[in-house]
Amino acid sequence: MDDRRGRFEAQVLAHLDAAYRFARWLCRSPGDADDVVQDAVLRAWRSFEALRGTDARAWLLAIVRNCHRTALARHERRASVPLPEEHDPRLAAAASATGADPEHAAIAGDAGRALERLLAALPEEHREVLVLREVEELSYREIAAVAGVPIGTVMSRLARARAAFRTQWSQQHPGESREVR
Amino acid sequence: MKCAESLRVQAYFDAEVDAVAAAEIERHAEHCAECRALLGDLAATRAALRSGPGERRAPPALRERIARLLGREAGPLAPRSAAAARPLPGARSFWLGALGGAGVTALAAAAAILWWAPAAPERLPDELLAAHLRSLMPAHLTDVLSTDQHTVKPWFAGHADVSPVVADFTPQGYRLLGGRADYLERQRAAVVVYQHGAHLINVFAWGAGAAGSLPSTATRRGYRLACWRAEDLDYCAVSDTGWDELLGLERLLRASAAAAAGASARGE
Repeated sequence: MDDRRGRFEAQVLAHLDAAYRFARWLCRSPGDADDVVQDAVLRAWRSFEALRGTDARAWLLAIVRNCHRTALARHERRASVPLPEEHDPRLAAAASATGADPEHAAIAGDAGRALERLLAALPEEHREVLVLREVEELSYREIAAVAGVPIGTVMSRLARARAAFRTQWSQQHPGESREVR
Repeated sequence: MKCAESLRVQAYFDAEVDAVAAAEIERHAEHCAECRALLGDLAATRAALRSGPGERRAPPALRERIARLLGREAGPLAPRSAAAARPLPGARSFWLGALGGAGVTALAAAAAILWWAPAAPERLPDELLAAHLRSLMPAHLTDVLSTDQHTVKPWFAGHADVSPVVADFTPQGYRLLGGRADYLERQRAAVVVYQHGAHLINVFAWGAGAAGSLPSTATRRGYRLACWRAEDLDYCAVSDTGWDELLGLERLLRASAAAAAGASARGE
């Protein structure tokens, strides 16, 4: 039993930060992300035998995604879809905890929140491929495994997601997006 | 007015193409203003997305909660009985989803891991993959560039410790590109390079050692490895191509080796 726990920690819990980051991008609030990650880790633990040497990170992220979908379906049944939270006290706390310099932290927090809002406005299937590719740096193959779609779909979805993000971003940052060459 | 190459340009930007395709795409982008602009946009998008909250880590409180929960699940007083059997809300739909997505890869990898006998040298496939990836860097692919097996095979005599099967299988879709020497298992290995469609296949050959038997197939970071032994040589073909294509080349090379062995046994 201890051996199983040890292997689980080494193979799966090693990717807890990645799971948390992914959940934060998917979920509407940090609290939701916590719940999704906790749920995902428990499920991963219970089906650990199914892993058998696969890429553990992609496996865990796939479970996070499934848990998020399940949670979302539950919320939607309750019919109220909250807007992206702008005044979540935990967001503010997290932002101020990132740097010692409060002014810097506030600016970084603003930029981070702007980016977060922008991503939150994208359709979920766009948001997840963008985050998996650009933030978690997964390969097409890994993204295909996490999202449960063929690689061709990953490529076309990624192209559409990037275009949609770019359009939004350049509206918020006029004159900036085209200069980076 | 969207260039037909845009998805390939994106794949190039994401480092998802091999050296041959990368060179083609670079040439294309030199002439296609639209694709040049696309590359700039892709870089801008990446920079914007990575300007975000950076290295976000799981909060310590969450970590502790998870550790506590796992302790309860794993603890000797509560072996995976009641707690584990109780499905979480929505568990059923999750399993359907998991089987559709992660489950498939899990099964594929489960099949792959069966090949990995515990005694198998774990490190060798990684070494082979590293050598394959190195070869894809510009100007690393071939030392002797020739589609002529009668040029490639003698070249190994002075550059590697082994003389592997070298044959051109262009009619079957595997074009011989050339050969290269590499260092594996403390010896100078011979590498024969083939092109199949847009994919490159490196076939490594070295003197079969006491290192134990290699798995016959393996996957490493999405790349596929097919290994076999012929006479006293170990072979391993590495590529990002599909299993059918990779194992097809293995069959052809095995048949060539068998034919060559038969010929020398008859004194030809």
